[in-house]
Amino acid sequence: MASMEKRLQKELLALTKDPPVGVKVNTDAITKNLAEWTVDLEGAPGTVFEGENFQLQFKFGSRYPFDSPQVMFIGPNIPLHPHVYSNGHICLSILTDDWSPALSVQSVCLSVVSMLSSCKEKKRPPDNALYVKTCSKNPKKTRWWYHDDSV
Amino acid sequence: MGNCLKSPNTDDISLLRGSDAGPEVSSEQSANMGPPPPYQESIPIYHPSPNVSRPANQLTEEEQIKIAQRLGLINHLPTGVFDGTSKKAKECCICMEEFLLGDMLRFLPCMHTYHKDCIDDWLMRSFICPSCLEPVDAALLTTYETS
Ligand SMILES: [Zn+2]
Ligand SMILES: [Zn+2]
Repeated sequence: MASMEKRLQKELLALTKDPPVGVKVNTDAITKNLAEWTVDLEGAPGTVFEGENFQLQFKFGSRYPFDSPQVMFIGPNIPLHPHVYSNGHICLSILTDDWSPALSVQSVCLSVVSMLSSCKEKKRPPDNALYVKTCSKNPKKTRWWYHDDSV
Repeated sequence: MGNCLKSPNTDDISLLRGSDAGPEVSSEQSANMGPPPPYQESIPIYHPSPNVSRPANQLTEEEQIKIAQRLGLINHLPTGVFDGTSKKAKECCICMEEFLLGDMLRFLPCMHTYHKDCIDDWLMRSFICPSCLEPVDAALLTTYETS
């Protein structure tokens, strides 16, 4: 428990001191509860999300960083993206199977930003309607099938 | 069940893991995740396979053997005390703390170094180096064969 808090304090300090472009941690909310963060993301210039703002929610369990955080989009603007469901759940393998304790809030944010930036066409995943109706509230409980569209 | 298509250029997550990134993680690895069981802090939780967590009193015999073997493999990985002479290893990327004189360290075959307690906790779940994603046991088995 203590090691999780210590690491989150470190990450918070680093992220507020030296945030990556387009990533801003909402520090006011975090001082109340270190286990839940909200991060503001900006759509990168020159991409289909230019000028848009998104909110990413992180929830950390007591086993962080051994367990991945629960990460999803929240708020009024959920990016229209083939890997983002309309309920905010994100299909990104590092959030479940490919998680490693060397990853951090910063690296997750950068992965999400790069996922958004590589998007060419704004659309929902093909199974959005069914998924949103049947999924758990916790995206980590989803059995994700990560696969390439060349398969 | 989530089933969205992954476009090839979103796979390059390895770039974010630092300059010494290891082999790229295959995007075709299919997920096999069950719902994580609720935490029970009183009973030790073991991880017989990645993404499987079970309290010690609910392990099958097969899982108990697997965990015993895993503990055996972990114990074969070299350990040492941080004496400040290593220029390369400065920080443990699991707890993000700098190594202090006297800290117990464990050295993985890929040359990545962590606090013993930090990496042992992870190795009980996964035999993949958190930094370079190199499988730890493969390297270990090769060492056995050649020596
Ligand atoms: Zn450590
Ligand atoms: Zn390594």
